[in-house]
Amino acid sequence: MAAMRNRLSFALPLTLAVASLFIFLPFGSSAEFSFRSYSQDGKLMHSLAPYRWIVEQPEFLSHLLLSFKIALFAVIFTAILVVPSVAWLHLKAQLFRPLVELITLLPLVIPVVALSIGVQTAFPDWLQSTEYELPLMYVVLALPFTFRILDNGLQAIPLKTISEAARGLGASWIATIFYVIAPVMRRAVAGAFFLTFALSLGEFTLTSLLHWDTFPTWVTSVSQQNIIGAIALSVFSLTFAFLVVFFASLSSSRSKKRMDATE
Amino acid sequence: MTNSYVSSKGVSRKGGTFARRNLIIAAPLLPLLAYLGFFFFWPMFAVVVDSLKNNDHQWSFINFTTIAQKPYSTAFQNSILLGALSALFASIPGAIFAYIIEVRGSERLKGFVTSLSGVLANTGGVPLAFMFIATFGAQGSAIKILKALGVDLYSGGFTLFSFSGIVFVYLYFQIPLMVIIFSPALHSIRSEWRDAAKNLGATPKKFWTTVGIPLLFPSFAASFLLLFASGFAAYATARAMTVGNIALVPLVIGTLVDGNVQVDQANIGKSLAVGMVLISALAMIPYLIIQHRARRWQQ
Amino acid sequence: MKSGTLELAGISRRFGQTVALDNLNLTIGAGELVALLGPSGCGKTTALRIVAGLERSDAGTVALKGRDVTNLSAHLRNMGMVFQSYSLFPNLSAVENVEFGLKMRKVERASRRKTALELLELVGLDTQSKRFPHQLSGGQQQRVALARALAIQPEVLLLDEPLSALDAQVRTNLREEIRRLQISLGTTTLFVTHDQEEAMAISDRVGVMSNGHLEQIDTPDVLYNNPASTFVANFVGTMNHIPAEQQGDLVSIFGKSIRVKNSNGISGSISVLVRPESIEVSRAAGSGNAKVITRSFLGASSQIICQTPDGAVIQALMPSHESGDLHPGEDVTLNVTLNEVLVSHV
Repeated sequence: MAAMRNRLSFALPLTLAVASLFIFLPFGSSAEFSFRSYSQDGKLMHSLAPYRWIVEQPEFLSHLLLSFKIALFAVIFTAILVVPSVAWLHLKAQLFRPLVELITLLPLVIPVVALSIGVQTAFPDWLQSTEYELPLMYVVLALPFTFRILDNGLQAIPLKTISEAARGLGASWIATIFYVIAPVMRRAVAGAFFLTFALSLGEFTLTSLLHWDTFPTWVTSVSQQNIIGAIALSVFSLTFAFLVVFFASLSSSRSKKRMDATE
Repeated sequence: MTNSYVSSKGVSRKGGTFARRNLIIAAPLLPLLAYLGFFFFWPMFAVVVDSLKNNDHQWSFINFTTIAQKPYSTAFQNSILLGALSALFASIPGAIFAYIIEVRGSERLKGFVTSLSGVLANTGGVPLAFMFIATFGAQGSAIKILKALGVDLYSGGFTLFSFSGIVFVYLYFQIPLMVIIFSPALHSIRSEWRDAAKNLGATPKKFWTTVGIPLLFPSFAASFLLLFASGFAAYATARAMTVGNIALVPLVIGTLVDGNVQVDQANIGKSLAVGMVLISALAMIPYLIIQHRARRWQQ
Repeated sequence: MKSGTLELAGISRRFGQTVALDNLNLTIGAGELVALLGPSGCGKTTALRIVAGLERSDAGTVALKGRDVTNLSAHLRNMGMVFQSYSLFPNLSAVENVEFGLKMRKVERASRRKTALELLELVGLDTQSKRFPHQLSGGQQQRVALARALAIQPEVLLLDEPLSALDAQVRTNLREEIRRLQISLGTTTLFVTHDQEEAMAISDRVGVMSNGHLEQIDTPDVLYNNPASTFVANFVGTMNHIPAEQQGDLVSIFGKSIRVKNSNGISGSISVLVRPESIEVSRAAGSGNAKVITRSFLGASSQIICQTPDGAVIQALMPSHESGDLHPGEDVTLNVTLNEVLVSHV
């Protein structure tokens, strides 16, 4: 009956091979492309020249920092607005949870392009002239995901019960938040922040349609003058994003293993 | 008789403390709702209102009748087709890939696939488009390799910036997206069902036709809908990849916004946006309903 | 279809470094209900799954009615299996679940529907036939699972901890129902559980397993009164271990000299194994040989926990009306009411 076991055992390696080809062919090609440069007499060379060129551009740092700033503020706004709301929802207002969940899913239904038009139409001039309108909007864009992350993270925790226990033991509300609620939400909050940050860094549509110039839009404009440079930037961003996500998932599974082991 | 001990507010369920208590509970949620009200509902409301106004600021359906005709209707057709095709060609490979990983992958592999899918699903747009230009553009690496092997794709008039080129590029974030949203459904196929089916005399094929596929079908359909909405509404990739030769609704809106607007087209963009919302909602609302229902037995 | 003998011979299985089963030999007679009892990880579920064909053994054979089925695929073995939970197909109604096995055997529609409804009636759920699993309680789901397993008229019924996920009251009722059905149908049954009360209550024989080994397999009575090892003694029911000195074939305990049942003749320190119900507690005339720590009223019986001067903690079980006025701190006299005892050589 060895045949029974081996029937589909080639499926996984085959699938992985196809998937790898699918992913790494373009990526590898882009990587190769990104190292290209042409010598004086038009010959093709490979070197770090494109990457050096990028980093030497003054706009590289300024745009990168701008995107970081916007992403940071998106996280801050999420922290102020969304995290306490979800905590409150689980703590005292469980009744409203289905309704609020439904409302937070609405941004998924609306295409970002349409929302951009909306912003352009509706917002007062003073708001549209500050780059902070972007992080304010990113909170909305990320809301379906951040809500879900925080909500799921709290599903498994009897927040109401442990808070009441803390209060019963004499903790003030501040102490309860600090010693009981915050630690328990830590992982979910980290996940929500991470998602908001990533989304903000890479957001193109809203930025472009509202005529702001952040890192992603800058990369597009670079392509007009230096396609190799633009591709180098893309390779860089993709690699960076992947590494971050990869190591984040590694550390979360490691800490999960540690948590399981202590039970 | 014992009413002296009952407070004047009583415990009446008809209004009174009941409603007041709920109000106190709901109050801290108001900031979030107000925020959404201002930053989400109001812009959308404003768009709808403006879309129903003509250039003289009077109520009119003129914008909608305009977009129902060429060239805007072509854009809608193209976008819908793009959404449908990219969803179709991504959902099946994505589902199969997700299945194989789920059933035969180690925990580490699953984590890796999830991370990778997350990155790819959200890359859309600029990096992705450039990646493809690097690979399949006229100077692309793959093209060079193929040329070396004697195959010259560009001699036959192949171009990446065609409709099929875009569909192909879209697969790069659609398939990972499918993997992400469909995997939970696969994960919830319990081993007990497969064992029980085997024990009762079912071959693996019988299990899938009588239990597995019926259970997975709603989630699959929902995933398809999400992919459609995703392909329909995508802007960044299309923007980076087309050279103005293919009309897509997001792109048309983009050009209208970019300031190359004739005065009498002021509100066309808004009606286009409303059209996008309607079509997107048509796909997303069933998606959300199905997902909500499916979560019951997936728990 | 008349049930037959199930024979496991030399079954071994390891997962990586862990030995799940080590040379397991077990014979279940036609119509017999045998329980495999043991803690998590003892191998009982692995053994069951090997019988079902859902897992493969590294060595050994499984034979049904004399026929070797070791290499027969799971879906051809004609054994009915009930899982711990969540095994009903969620997209099929109760009656559709029950007739599933018949559908696989290509029984025609009217006939299989009739059989399925009869079985649902047998488990008392004919009124719920159109309901879906998520609309049924845990106990109802397991009854449907049982009906489903029986629908195919299996030669062997396999139960993998079917009651573990249920409430206490439901558990007691359902185990009686399982036993009644099993007897009336005469189906050879293998029942895996970690709950010793459950196993002892309904089985013809119980096999106690530990670390992949079958420690002892006997009727509940023998298992309870003549445990072959300390593990069995402790796992089945409660057992006191009272330190004492063995002299030859006798042991002196609470001032009495009692014969040692499993004596090896050697004198030395041993532990006397006595069940709580064989210990009599009475108020001491003088200072007694123990002090009461707690008394728990359990209804008809009361559990009295005492401590001897040398620190040994002893559990006694007595009819409540005989122990009514004992309270914590009181001096009492303990007495072993047996003529011979088992000891364990520490």
